[in-house]
Amino acid sequence: MDFLFASIIDGLLLGFVYGIAAMGLTLIWGVMNVINLAHGPIIALGMFGVYLIFTGLGVNPYIGVVLVAVLGLLLGMLIYYIAVHRVINAPHLSTLLATFSINMIIIGLGTAVFSASPRNVDFSLGSMTLGPITLLGSRVVAAVASLLITGGLYAFLYKTRQGRYIRAVANNRDAAELMGVPSTKILALSFGLGTMLASVAGALIATFFPFTILAGGVYELKSFVIGVLGGLGNPIGALFGGLILGVLEGIIPTFMPTTWVPVLEFVLFVLILLVRPQGIFGAKK
Amino acid sequence: MAILEIRDVASGYGEVQILWGAKMGLEKGQLTSLVGANGAGKTTMLRTVMGLIKPWEGSVWFDGKDISHLPAHAKAELGVVLVPEGRQLFTDMSVEENLEMGASPVRARPHIKRNLEKVYEMFPRLKERRAQKGGTLSGGEQQMLAVARGIMAEPVVLMIDELSLGLAPVLVLGLFESLQQLKREGITLLLVEQNVQMALAVSDYGYVLAHGKVELQGPSRELARDDHVRAAYLGM
Ligand SMILES: Nc1ncnc2c1ncn2[C@@H]1O[C@H](COP(=O)(O)OP(=O)(O)O)[C@@H](O)[C@H]1O
Ligand SMILES: [Mg+2]
Repeated sequence: MDFLFASIIDGLLLGFVYGIAAMGLTLIWGVMNVINLAHGPIIALGMFGVYLIFTGLGVNPYIGVVLVAVLGLLLGMLIYYIAVHRVINAPHLSTLLATFSINMIIIGLGTAVFSASPRNVDFSLGSMTLGPITLLGSRVVAAVASLLITGGLYAFLYKTRQGRYIRAVANNRDAAELMGVPSTKILALSFGLGTMLASVAGALIATFFPFTILAGGVYELKSFVIGVLGGLGNPIGALFGGLILGVLEGIIPTFMPTTWVPVLEFVLFVLILLVRPQGIFGAKK
Repeated sequence: MAILEIRDVASGYGEVQILWGAKMGLEKGQLTSLVGANGAGKTTMLRTVMGLIKPWEGSVWFDGKDISHLPAHAKAELGVVLVPEGRQLFTDMSVEENLEMGASPVRARPHIKRNLEKVYEMFPRLKERRAQKGGTLSGGEQQMLAVARGIMAEPVVLMIDELSLGLAPVLVLGLFESLQQLKREGITLLLVEQNVQMALAVSDYGYVLAHGKVELQGPSRELARDDHVRAAYLGM
């Protein structure tokens, strides 16, 4: 029983991080109806970002996370201007291919530079023991950071001019443009925020799991499951979706082999698409 | 001199040409109307003026400057503002947020409080519903909000596409009254209407668009007496 409880707590902590990864995917979808197939590789870049900053420069990994956030924002804006903007009004297939090509480029270059061998960030915050459960420091920090990031994202979207512009462009791009909003810049900013969330999620995961340049794929799939669970285009739904998935991942291995986790996640994915395609918390209209 | 001038503009969608060298001008401080049958190309003309569609040929001039290649948001910054057909509200945002969005241009920001008071005075219904989502308003209220949002942008030229479409006559009269107030404040207005009779009744000067070209133009009072206009658009 204690063991189950500990697994649930562990899964919950992880779920917060899954939540912000999925938020990155769902934000981009919500604002511009683009499915970012480079989501996974960007998560992996976030992992490598912290790794290089820590191992190469000897900088504290949490300062690394902040740097990764800034770089992730800039990288996303660059990707938008180079690859996405030219096809933003084209059919979905074109934007899928555009982001898929970014995916291939990052994977290709990443494999050439880093090979596919596993890395880890050799840094520990220790652990604390509360009664029957032991909490890993790095996971607690990651969960708290994810919660703060979610709060920050909401404050940005609802309390700042740029945030209001993002919501306006998501709601009606032409109308926003007619009201003086430079919609192309706002789309680039939104794409940048989406990749920032993905890369930060990767950076936080790297503080407690080993990874390779291909590791983002798993989290991309999780982000899809969570996005659909929480309702595509709904950031707060993504956080709850992340928590649900995290808890499931905590519980499933207590009675089944761990290898079944992705299978069950996909069963869940298909079930939601069949039964409640707008997600548990409702999609963006 | 016209404050906004459309010089021989051609444009369309994909391969399909809709405007074939349309030419018109808005005199400063006047209320001009652009009328024509459904499908004549009126909305296409406005979208081309704003830059939502790129002109294939010809140019658009504002205050003596060629603005043909500015994106729509830069035109709004200059004070060329369109209230689009079908309202195009921010349906997920509250009435007040819609109005704040209207005040996005830098030139409108310092006047946001004054303009908010002004539009709430013009349209008290909007004040009552300020916290309600734009998408939940009635058709008439939505049109009020669309016009009010345009006013919030502190326009020099305000163009309104199909103000009266789908609204009860009493509402339309109220909205036309508001236009007269804006005109008295010095805003140059363009009213684009399928409702030819009403548009010619309230405007100073009129253009009749047919098949992507200006077919007729003149002082509205004269147009309303024109035999062709009476036969083709007024059913007389
Ligand atoms: N997005 C579009 N794509 C293709 N054709 C369009 C589009 N919008 C309008 N049209 C066509 O352009 C013509 C002019 O339409 P429009 O400018 O909306 O006329 P009006 O506003 O005078 O009713 C019509 O034949 C219409 O079918
Ligand atoms: Mg029209």
